[in-house]
Amino acid sequence: MIREIRFAFRRLARSPGFVVIAVVTLALAIGASTAVLSLVNALLIRPLPYGAPQQLVLLLQHFKSQNLERIPVSPPEFVDYESRAQDFDKMGAFGFLDFNLASGDKPERIAGAQVTANVFPLLGVTPIKGRFFEPTECQVGRDDVIIISERLWQRKFNRDPRILGTKLLLDGKSFTIVGIMPARFDFPLQLFNLGAGGQFGGRADIWQPLAFTDKALSLRSYRSYSIVGRLKPGISLAHAQAEIETINGQMRIEHKDNYPPADSFGGDVYPFQELAVAGMRPTLLILLGAVALVLLIACANLTTMLLARAAAHEREMAIRVALGAGPLRLLRQVLTESVILALLGGVAGVLLAIWGVDLLKSIGAQTVPRLREVNLDLRVLIITFAVSVGTGIVFGLVPGLASANPELTESLKEGGRSSTMGKSRNRLRNAIVIAEVALALVLLTSAGLLMKSFVRLQKVNPGFDSHHVLTAEVSLPKLKYPDDKAIVRFSDEAQRRIAALPGIQAVGLTTILPLAGSNSDSSFAIEGRTNDRNAPSPDEEKREVSPDYFRAIGTPLIRGRFFTQADNADAPLVIIVNQAFAKKFWPNEDAVGKRVVMGGMSPDPKWITIVGIVGDIRHAALDVEPKPEMYVPFAQDPYKSMIFAVRGAQDPRPLASAIRSHIQSIDPSLPLANIRTFDAVIAESVAPRRLSVVLLGVVLLATVGIYGVMSFLVVQRTHEIGVRMALGAQRADVMRLVIGRALQLIAIGTAIGLLMALFSMRALQALLYHVSAVDLPTFFFVTFVLALVALAASYLPAQRAMRADPMVALSHNT
Amino acid sequence: MIRLHNVERSYPLGRGQLFYVLRDIDLDISQGDFVSVMGPSGAGKSTLLHILGMHDHGWTGEYFFDETATHHLKAKERASLRNEKIGFVFQQYHLLDDLTVYENLDIPLSYRHYSKSERTALVGDALDRFQIVGKKDLYPRQLSGGQQQLVGVARAIIAQPKLLLADEPTGNLHSSQGEEIMKLFRKLNEEGMTIVQVTHSEKNASYGKRIVQLRDGWIV
Ligand SMILES: Nc1ncnc2c1ncn2[C@@H]1O[C@H](COP(=O)(O)OP(=O)(O)O)[C@@H](O)[C@H]1O
Ligand SMILES: [Mg+2]
Repeated sequence: MIREIRFAFRRLARSPGFVVIAVVTLALAIGASTAVLSLVNALLIRPLPYGAPQQLVLLLQHFKSQNLERIPVSPPEFVDYESRAQDFDKMGAFGFLDFNLASGDKPERIAGAQVTANVFPLLGVTPIKGRFFEPTECQVGRDDVIIISERLWQRKFNRDPRILGTKLLLDGKSFTIVGIMPARFDFPLQLFNLGAGGQFGGRADIWQPLAFTDKALSLRSYRSYSIVGRLKPGISLAHAQAEIETINGQMRIEHKDNYPPADSFGGDVYPFQELAVAGMRPTLLILLGAVALVLLIACANLTTMLLARAAAHEREMAIRVALGAGPLRLLRQVLTESVILALLGGVAGVLLAIWGVDLLKSIGAQTVPRLREVNLDLRVLIITFAVSVGTGIVFGLVPGLASANPELTESLKEGGRSSTMGKSRNRLRNAIVIAEVALALVLLTSAGLLMKSFVRLQKVNPGFDSHHVLTAEVSLPKLKYPDDKAIVRFSDEAQRRIAALPGIQAVGLTTILPLAGSNSDSSFAIEGRTNDRNAPSPDEEKREVSPDYFRAIGTPLIRGRFFTQADNADAPLVIIVNQAFAKKFWPNEDAVGKRVVMGGMSPDPKWITIVGIVGDIRHAALDVEPKPEMYVPFAQDPYKSMIFAVRGAQDPRPLASAIRSHIQSIDPSLPLANIRTFDAVIAESVAPRRLSVVLLGVVLLATVGIYGVMSFLVVQRTHEIGVRMALGAQRADVMRLVIGRALQLIAIGTAIGLLMALFSMRALQALLYHVSAVDLPTFFFVTFVLALVALAASYLPAQRAMRADPMVALSHNT
Repeated sequence: MIRLHNVERSYPLGRGQLFYVLRDIDLDISQGDFVSVMGPSGAGKSTLLHILGMHDHGWTGEYFFDETATHHLKAKERASLRNEKIGFVFQQYHLLDDLTVYENLDIPLSYRHYSKSERTALVGDALDRFQIVGKKDLYPRQLSGGQQQLVGVARAIIAQPKLLLADEPTGNLHSSQGEEIMKLFRKLNEEGMTIVQVTHSEKNASYGKRIVQLRDGWIV
């Protein structure tokens, strides 16, 4: 065997050009598969980084009648669930919370979470230093302890071993560090950021005990926390779900006023892992399918090249047989060669994949959950190894079998030319080319459809103009800004100072930015409409904004007026709604002037008058139709976290440092967080979709493959072309011959490919936006491109063969 | 019929140097002649034949064919002159593997202006004349070397050229097979075909009317 391998290397060394092409082809295909595999492995297969994660579940609620799904739970409901559920070993509540960390002269905003005492133990993790929270620390007044991440320990304290017991100033309050979590620990995962709680924040670096105030424990509508639980061993999801439904039923009976009597309200138990991967699954599976096709195409490529080589070596093979080599020996010889090629390609592919994974990570940005965990682990490497060897066997088998049975008499016939290409072998090669064209067509079509979706999406009018807008977040600590007045004083002053900067056209402020991943809603009642006691009151999206907000983000006023400085806390309550809202509730009337009240109807309602209608905004995602929205003046309903939207005359990024220093001139302890252009916010919102555009790269591989194989076929005919020219063929005759053959193969290949595409494109449907899965223009275009590539691949080498004198072509040995 | 004057063929050797394969070739061949070109391997025999056959045009000098100054012709004109006047037989036969004997014979006609019926008639004649009718549906690799070369010769003359060029036509054949080809050549020559062949064998050369000796690119 060693000898066999040595011979194989020697034989390969004799045709370095072929080896380079083969290894590059394989490296690209295997590299792409490995990168995608590591993505699939990390996002779909690898268990979450917690102890026995299969038993972990999330518990969230829904209000079907209001189209609210996966909404957070209120403190009293959590207490109900926790005290009554028997199926759960442990249950804990958690919420996102960002902290302003005072550190030197530059305060910093740090992402974090509040968790009840049970959360860490039930996740099955251990701290690398210190301890978890005691149940007693989850009480108001005793909750001044924190656990920090190893990352923060490293960054801020240089891994000081005496860290435990140290105090940290967060939002002006002092907290004692009691534990450190390992760097790889990640909780809560970003996708659970369901309630209000800022934009896509970073990974939590600080955890604080979640202590419910008495008031919070009495508010069933204060839905701000998610619940994580560990099922008892042997308990099924369905069983737990049934138990939760029972408890929901009890809650509906015990608190009639809080729930609609219809069973539109309920709680849902989700497997933790499932929720973590669900959004990515279609994209990943399609990517996986794509790289599988690319691998197949690469195999087809190599098979054709090896077949040609086998033909060239037929005489050598025949001599070997004549000397006594059995067919198995010959097969082994060819397979050794092909597996060596595949392994070389595999090694190069892994190197490519390392780079590819980085690329995927940067494309996916931070919106794709668990993306940071993606890497090439042992499992992926083993699969890659198996794929390489398998690939080598697949593409070596057919040529190997062909060589193993050389037609002795003819090959050895005295004077017989060494290359006698049999008809059947030609047919086989044509079949492979046809299959390759068909596969490439499927790939090209999917990429075409996805690209078209992506372009359509980019062209969607989001309802605002994100160019030249900079966004930044500030979160005011309760201690220093205890009431609404303090918050409004700060926000007014901040807006005034930023607006005074040169080059700024408008400064707006909102509590929730479109496409940034957060949302908020409120139920309300409309004046003069008696609500059916049994029907739930209407509930729509709601944000708090400043007077210049709409001007800053470029959303047009349709009717009425924008807010003004006069719409302050002392003025009559006003509200602006969007067109969708107006149309939904007053389809045939003017909404301006109508009055609503937030929450439910009460004996002494605080009426709010609609003063304006603005254009619709795509808030949730570019591919989601605008929903009805309500905007209230920030000054009449202030909130501690706010997002500034600053419109500049030009690129506003250079203004960031000036804005920061203005904020800090008001309050030096306030960090400015998430400074990004609005464009970047939008780009990030389509990040998972961008991953699917990676397909384009993959498609490029396929196209190069087609080009390679078609031109290879023509180069193989250089000698034949020479003979024909010597016999009197004109350029046109040769071109007709070569291109005719290419066209034939392409026609059959595309016909089969189009059929395959027609049936397989339904799988893409979920990722398409305003593009039909059988989009004819795309199909035509793709076919056209493929035909063009194949024609160029035939034309260019034919051209080269003809430009030389027949003498040269005749001496060309295939 | 053919007059070469001061024909030279060289390949660049690198560093601006030239390697001369043919030097100062002057050669006259008249209608009906049967010339054998001889000389050691590498002397430039094939090169000379390719020049005569207009397969090559990287040479300098003058080449008159029937008073046409081919060195002044454009590539296209030269090709059409070649198509009309010259047939070529190769040492390696160069039959097209994927085509049957019949189809191989038909190829030169398909590249010239022959009607369908003329083509059928001419191929039929050739098959008869070379006594290979029974082989017309076979592929080249199903024939012996001698039979393949027979087809090669038939293909070379099927379009009725005035000049037949043959580069070691029997080089790959048994002597008995070679003899047959030589007899065939003599017969063709007697019928008026001008022939230039390259050969290593004195015996083959004896079928011809005269011998041209090449050595290191020079006629001696
Ligand atoms: N394309 C080429 N480049 C360089 N040298 C060549 C080329 N073709 C032929 N030669 C050289 O020209 C010389 C004559 O070749 P050829 O005419 O084939 O000889 P022969 O008399 O054996 O038929 C040889 O030395 C050969 O090496
Ligand atoms: Mg020669």
